[in-house]
Amino acid sequence: MATRTVVPFGPQHPVLPEPVQLRLTYEDEKVVEVTPVIGYGHRGIEKACELNEYAKNIYLCERVCGICSYQHSATVVEVMEKLWPVELTPRINYLRTIWSEMARTHSHLLWLGLLADAFGFESMFMQFWRIREKVLDLLEHTTGHRVIQSVNIVGGVRRDISEEQKKMIIDVLGVVRKESQSLVNTLVSDYTVKARTVGVGVITKEQAMALGCVGPTLRASGVSEDVRLTKYHAYGELSFEPIVETAGDCFARAVVRARELFQAIDLQLEALSKMPQGEIAVKVKGNPPANEAVMRTEAPRGELFYYAKGNGTRRLERMKIRTPTNANLPAVLVLLPGCQLADVPVNVLSIDPCISCTER
Amino acid sequence: MENLKKVDKDTLITEGKKLLDAGGKFVAAVCNDLDPELEVTYFFSSNRGINMTGLRYTVPKGEEVPSLSGATLATVLIENELKELFGLKVKGIAIDYGGHMLLAHDSPVTPMLKEKKAEPKGEKN
Repeated sequence: MATRTVVPFGPQHPVLPEPVQLRLTYEDEKVVEVTPVIGYGHRGIEKACELNEYAKNIYLCERVCGICSYQHSATVVEVMEKLWPVELTPRINYLRTIWSEMARTHSHLLWLGLLADAFGFESMFMQFWRIREKVLDLLEHTTGHRVIQSVNIVGGVRRDISEEQKKMIIDVLGVVRKESQSLVNTLVSDYTVKARTVGVGVITKEQAMALGCVGPTLRASGVSEDVRLTKYHAYGELSFEPIVETAGDCFARAVVRARELFQAIDLQLEALSKMPQGEIAVKVKGNPPANEAVMRTEAPRGELFYYAKGNGTRRLERMKIRTPTNANLPAVLVLLPGCQLADVPVNVLSIDPCISCTER
Repeated sequence: MENLKKVDKDTLITEGKKLLDAGGKFVAAVCNDLDPELEVTYFFSSNRGINMTGLRYTVPKGEEVPSLSGATLATVLIENELKELFGLKVKGIAIDYGGHMLLAHDSPVTPMLKEKKAEPKGEKN
């Protein structure tokens, strides 16, 4: 009879330097049971949103996560704008689209590097992160900041993209595309990468739906779902179709993100070429009315959900944030049982977990 | 908000299953403190994530409510959260953290409930 051992994976682990624990039960070296344990760093941001003046929630919510900080700020302003509701100019929508896709580009580059790192491909890890720096530089040039951009306000954005910056973005994205392409070619054709990811951690289409998966995790299981199809920001005016793979394994999740990286570059270029002239902010009068609203956006890791309820005062009655990792975490319940001890890090990483988001 | 359907706590599972069986996916659950009641809304997406439907019920605080986790494991974390942060008595969650998923043993109890305003001092007539 196999020996059963319970091993805690985290809350401190080299592969995932964020505080989450997976309580793994092994039979010899095979995982047979898993319980995710969270709550090590919960920050009570939803409660803080009720205590802040509504405009300050933008700066609070973009600190939910350091990687998708832009997406959080764009979503929180849009959910609050819906309470009035506020009519935005097309230029605001285009600017928000461009920065959203820029954020997706650097997030996917970060993840591709982390994946390489998880199975010891250190040089590839460094190269992906080197390229990512160029995208962070673009964010800095256009918004003023690399990580926490603070460029969104209720009713618009703080900064515009000039013609000069437009040219610079096009040039830099060309370099990012070229350099990423050569790395991605290596990633998807390398024998070792395939040996560690193909057929590993399979989530079927039915499981992905039942577990409520979102983003690349869902799309890698053959589900063509993406919040950008709701045509928020300027997505309705761009050529967009979700990127889907069908194998549902770690390799498919990597391929979806790699393809989305190039799609994000295409969307930025298309948005830049179509962006109309116009105001970058509209006046919003008074406090958020007594109303409630939901806003969903497609963050790099998947669907980001915000709910806001106003009460006519400067403070919101309620704010709810459901981050992509909140939705993808139940996937480990089917990902890990049956896998080998050595495959746990790659499996966990394949859902691109963000515990900072989870512990909002 | 559009597509918000009022349900009863006892019909939540039936209505939720209908949406799931029709190809829907659980997105989130939101609780509001409407003292002395709690208002709970389960959100589902459908049609490639484009459409959104909410199932909403209200219950007096302290009353037991069923869990949807038997129909979709996606609700496990959020139902544990509602239980701990709002004191919503969700019964039968597939993985029940016993009130300690987010809260430690010495954490404040039901921290998301609205603080009650202090009663005016002085004798009541």
